[in-house]
Amino acid sequence: MNSAIVINTTKERKDTGSEWRLLPLRTDDAFTSMAIDEALLKLNAGCKSPNTIRFWRWQPSTVSIGCFQSVEREVDLEVAKRYGVDVVRRITGGGAVFHDHGGELTYSVVCRQGDVPDDVIESYRLICGGLVRGFEHLGLRAEFKPVNDVHANGKKISGSAQTRRWGSVLQHGTVLISPDIRKMFELLKVSREKISDKFIASVYERVTTVEREIGRKPTFEEVREAMLAGFEDSLNVELREGELTSEELELAKKLRPKYASDEWLRKR
Amino acid sequence: MIPYAEFKAPKGVIKVELELTNDRISSAFISGDFFMYPEEAIEALERTLEGVEVQKEALLAAVQNFYNSTGVLTPMVEPRHWVEAILRAASGERK
Repeated sequence: MNSAIVINTTKERKDTGSEWRLLPLRTDDAFTSMAIDEALLKLNAGCKSPNTIRFWRWQPSTVSIGCFQSVEREVDLEVAKRYGVDVVRRITGGGAVFHDHGGELTYSVVCRQGDVPDDVIESYRLICGGLVRGFEHLGLRAEFKPVNDVHANGKKISGSAQTRRWGSVLQHGTVLISPDIRKMFELLKVSREKISDKFIASVYERVTTVEREIGRKPTFEEVREAMLAGFEDSLNVELREGELTSEELELAKKLRPKYASDEWLRKR
Repeated sequence: MIPYAEFKAPKGVIKVELELTNDRISSAFISGDFFMYPEEAIEALERTLEGVEVQKEALLAAVQNFYNSTGVLTPMVEPRHWVEAILRAASGERK
């Protein structure tokens, strides 16, 4: 009896206690977006930025690679050049991703490490839980697939990557709305023979998009609304609209050249 | 030809490039789509392997020691997975 009371009290306190910042939808080039994410992480760790959720888009379309990947092994740079697609190395691990300007909404969550479970997979489960709820708001049946994916109707619809630095956590990831899957495999170095109709068909068995699952292409704003409601639910926080501070923008401006540099891109 | 191999761990593909002197690793280059916390530890792992004999037990001991001494986290990738990738590279097995 007593323990039940304690649990209730704790929950009530959490319900009213946490307020996170929600930033407006932005569209930037990859280098600026990566720099903003790192700036938020650094300043959150230094207690100068609040816990923050943001949604954003890529312009131009970009291939991002994980921080441990070799760009030469993973990306066909000639094809990227031909399509005008940027290539950037993330500070997070994981794989290479084609971020289609017209077909992907990306999210970032930045918070204190103490606000998510210590266990890495459990922390992905918590944050990806926001996406799961978000997809449910869009009418899909979704579930978390450890380590870092969300599946809808049995197929991958979102992938995330997380880093922990200086006492804070950055997790960013994709919401696949209607990306060009064929272009994705032209850009990524899967063996040539794999880019066949048969291979593409097998990808469609494993990967899906919001458009395909709900039978229409929702607006970016609609997906954003669904996801932010999902994050409020799963993280048990209240999102308050805010803007990037001048300190965040200045730090991002300083960090951007690193992401745009050849040295960083070819680090591995 | 540089000894190179890929190994699919439960989470991520480990790609290993080696330089060998006799039966020992003189340098190792590891890439792939795994996760490692903290990320900088990848360089420590590569250094740890330098001078280690290409032999399962010796490699496993070195990698295990790297985990113990750094407290590094690699979700769903275990010491034996790195060792498997390294052994494949050393034996010239391609996958």
